[in-house]
Amino acid sequence: MITSSTVQWLPPLRSLFARPVTERLPPPPVPRSAARFPGSVQLRHVGAGSCNGCELEIASAFGPVYDAERYGARLVASPRHADGVLVTGVVTRNMAVPLSKTLDAVPAPKVVVACGDCALGGGPFAGGYGVADGAGPLEEPDVAIPGCPPGPVAIAQALRGLTGR
Amino acid sequence: MSAALLVAGLGLGGGGAAAGAVLPARARVPGAAVLTGAACVVACAAAAGVLTSGKPVTVHSAEILPLTGVTLSLDPLGAVFVLTTALVGAAVSCYAAGYPARSMKSRPAAGLLPLFITSLLLVPAAASIATFMAAWELMALSSLLLLLTGHRRREARDAAQWYAVMTHAGAAAILLAFVLMGAHAGGQSFAAIRAYAGGLPPTVRSLAFLLALAGFASKAGAVPVHVWLPRAHPEAPGPVSALMSGAMVNLGIYGIIRTGEVLLGGGELWWWLMVAGIGVVSALFGALHAAASSDLKRLLAYSTVDNMGLVLIGVGASGALAVTRHDALAALAMVAALFQMMNHAAFKGCLFLGAGSVQHAAGTRDLDQLGGLLRRLPATAALFGVAALSICALPPFSGFASEWLLVQGLLRGFSAHSAATAAALLAGVAALALTGGLTAAAFVKAFGIGFLGQPRTPAAAAADEAAPAMVAGMALLAVPCVVLGVIPGVVMPLLARAAGTALGGPPPDPVRAGTGLGLAGSTDVIEPALLALLLTAGLALAWALARIRTRARARRAEAWGCGRELQTARMQYTATSFAEPLQRVFEDVLRPDRDLDVSHLAESRYFEDALRYHSRIDDAVERGWYRPLISLAGRWGEVARRAQNGSMHRYLAYGFAALIVILVVLA
Repeated sequence: MITSSTVQWLPPLRSLFARPVTERLPPPPVPRSAARFPGSVQLRHVGAGSCNGCELEIASAFGPVYDAERYGARLVASPRHADGVLVTGVVTRNMAVPLSKTLDAVPAPKVVVACGDCALGGGPFAGGYGVADGAGPLEEPDVAIPGCPPGPVAIAQALRGLTGR
Repeated sequence: MSAALLVAGLGLGGGGAAAGAVLPARARVPGAAVLTGAACVVACAAAAGVLTSGKPVTVHSAEILPLTGVTLSLDPLGAVFVLTTALVGAAVSCYAAGYPARSMKSRPAAGLLPLFITSLLLVPAAASIATFMAAWELMALSSLLLLLTGHRRREARDAAQWYAVMTHAGAAAILLAFVLMGAHAGGQSFAAIRAYAGGLPPTVRSLAFLLALAGFASKAGAVPVHVWLPRAHPEAPGPVSALMSGAMVNLGIYGIIRTGEVLLGGGELWWWLMVAGIGVVSALFGALHAAASSDLKRLLAYSTVDNMGLVLIGVGASGALAVTRHDALAALAMVAALFQMMNHAAFKGCLFLGAGSVQHAAGTRDLDQLGGLLRRLPATAALFGVAALSICALPPFSGFASEWLLVQGLLRGFSAHSAATAAALLAGVAALALTGGLTAAAFVKAFGIGFLGQPRTPAAAAADEAAPAMVAGMALLAVPCVVLGVIPGVVMPLLARAAGTALGGPPPDPVRAGTGLGLAGSTDVIEPALLALLLTAGLALAWALARIRTRARARRAEAWGCGRELQTARMQYTATSFAEPLQRVFEDVLRPDRDLDVSHLAESRYFEDALRYHSRIDDAVERGWYRPLISLAGRWGEVARRAQNGSMHRYLAYGFAALIVILVVLA
C-alpha cells in the first residue's frame, strides 16, 4: 500500500534515474575561430542598481537547466580574476564609482557585457533621480543583451558569442 | 697567543667602558663604540684560535679579585659562546654609535654598554666560582642599569623590578648550586669541581643541578621562569635589547651545558628529559604568544623564549643520549643546539636592532600604528626581512640549516631504543613542527603589518631611515644569516669541537666536512649552497620569462578594494585582526582578556551609539603562578609590619630580647 510518506520519496527517487534536466541550446552564434575569448571567458558581475530581475535570470542561466558554464563562461569573485564585467542595472549614483573602479581593475584586453534594458540605457528607471548622468563605459558595451529581463537562453547565447562554444 | 688576545679583548672592553664614562659628550659614544668593537674583534680572534686549535687557554691573576683571584679559561665550548657574543657585540657597538636616543648618550649609559658587552664576553671564559659569579653579576647589573635608562616610563620601571628580582633569585640559586659542588670538591676552580664530579653523592648532584637549572633557565627565558623576559627585552633601548636577546639568554644555555655536562659530568637521564620537556613547553608557549602579540618588540621577546626552547630541546636530547652512551647521536644533537643558538643570536640581534630603528623612527612599537615602513626605511626593512626569513627557517637562510640539523638530531635519536628518550624526542619534533608554523605566522605579521601596506599613523608616514651606522650594525648581523645558511659547513668542525668539550672525550665528527650539511654514517646530505643557487636561478628565470612574455608595459592601477569609494589605512589588516583566528584556536592557553562595550542611543535601544572593543593578552603563567605568589608575599609583608611600629624603644627591646635568647640558648 502506498502511504503519503512513500509518495514524498518518489520524486527524488525518480530523479535518480531521470534524464538530465539540462536543456540543449541552439548552436553558438559565432564559430570558435571568430570568438573574442575562444574557449573560456571569466566575468565579474556588477549589479549597478538593478531591480534583481536580471540577477534572477543570470542565476538561472548559470543554473543546472541552462548551465552556461558548459560553454566556457564563468562568473568569478574578483575583477582581478576576470576577462570582463557583466553589468546589470541603470548605474545609480551610488554605484557609478564602484563600477568604474571595477572596470579599471580588470586587466586588458577586457570586455563589457551589458545585461538588460536598464544597462542599455532604457528600462523603467531611466531618468530617475538616483540614476547617474551618463552611463560612461556602458554607452558602448561590447555585448548587449536586451530584454526586461532578458531570458536565460538569451544570456547564455550572448556569452557563447564570446567563447564560440 | 689566544690567551693574550683574550686578555687584550677584555682590556679593550674595559677601556671602552672607561671611555664612555670619562670622555666629553661628543667623543663619548664613538670612542666607546670603537674600543668595544675592537674588543669584540679581538675576542672573536681569541675564540677562533681556541676553536681551530681545540686547546683551551688559561689565564690566572691573583691580584684582580682579592682572596680568590681571577681564573679565566677559554675552552672550545666557551669559545663558541664568546664568538657568538663578540659578533653580536660588534654589531651592537656599531649600531649604538648611530643610535639617536638621548638616554643612550648619557655618561652612565655610554659607559655601561661596553661594560655589559665585556661582561658577556667574560662569563663563558670564567673558570672558577668567584670569577663566574662576579662576571655573572656584572652582566646582570649592567643590563639592569641599562634597562633603567628608560626610568621615566612606568613600564620600564616595572620591567626593571621584575628583571632585578628574577635575575637575583636566579643568581642565588646558581651560587647555591656552585657552593654545594665546591664544598664537596674542596676547591672553587671549575677544574677541581669537574675532577671531583664522580665523587658527589647522587642527591647532592641532583640538587645542585636542579638549582643551577632554575637559575640558568631563568636567564635563558625558559617557561615558567621566563616572565621577566617579555617585559624587560621590549622596554630596553634598541642596542640593549639586541644584546639581551642575542647574547645574554645564550649564557643561560651555556650555564646549563657547563654545569650539567661538564662540571657534573652528565648526570642522570631524568635531568635531561626535564631540560627537553622545559624546552618543549617554552618553544610552544613562546611561539604562541609571539603569534598573538601586536607589540613588535614583545613579539620578538616571546620568539626568543620560543627559540631558547628549541635550543633546550637539543641540549636535553643531547644530554639524554649521552647518558645512555650514544655518543655520536649526542654530539649531533649538541652541534644542532649550538648551531641554532648561534643563528638565533644573529637573526634575533638583527631583528631587535631593526625594531629599535623602527621604534625610534615612528615613535612606537605597536604594530597596529605602523605600516608602510618599507618605503620609508628601505634598508632597515630589507635587513629585517632577511632576518625574519631566517627565523622562519626558510632556505637558503641560516635558520633552515640549524632547524634541519636539529630535526635530524632528534629523529636519529629514535635509534637509541629508550622509551622515555624516544617520547621526549618525539615531543621535541612535534614542538619544532608546530613552532615552525607559529613563527612563520608571527613574522608574516611583523613584516606584513609593520613594513607593508599603508602607514596607519602620521608618525609612521613621516618615519625616516635609520643612521648609516645603525644600518651597518644590522647588516653585520644579517651577513651570518645568509652565510651560515648558504655554507653551514664552515662552522660545523668548530661546533663539533665545542660539542666534544661539552660531552667529554673526542667524539666522532657528527657532521661530514664540506660546504653542505651531511651526517656522518648516512647518505643524507643537503647542499644549501646548491639550493640557494637553484632558488636564485629559478627566480631569475621566472623574472626573465615574465619580462619576455609581456610585450606591453605593466599598467599601474589602484589596489583592488572591492570598489569602495573611500579607502583608508584603517581598512587594512591589523596585527590584532591578523592574529585573531590563531588566538581563538589557542584560547585555552592564551586566555585573552576581551571586552566589548556597547552604548546605545538615548532615543532607542535598538540603535548603537558607540562600540568599544578591547582585547589584551597577559602571560597566563604570570597571572596564574606569579600573581598569587606576589600577593602572598605582600600579605606576609603586612603581617611582618605589625612587629614594626617605628618606635626606637621597641627595636631596643627586640635587641635586648634577642640577646637574652642567645644567652639562654648558648648557656
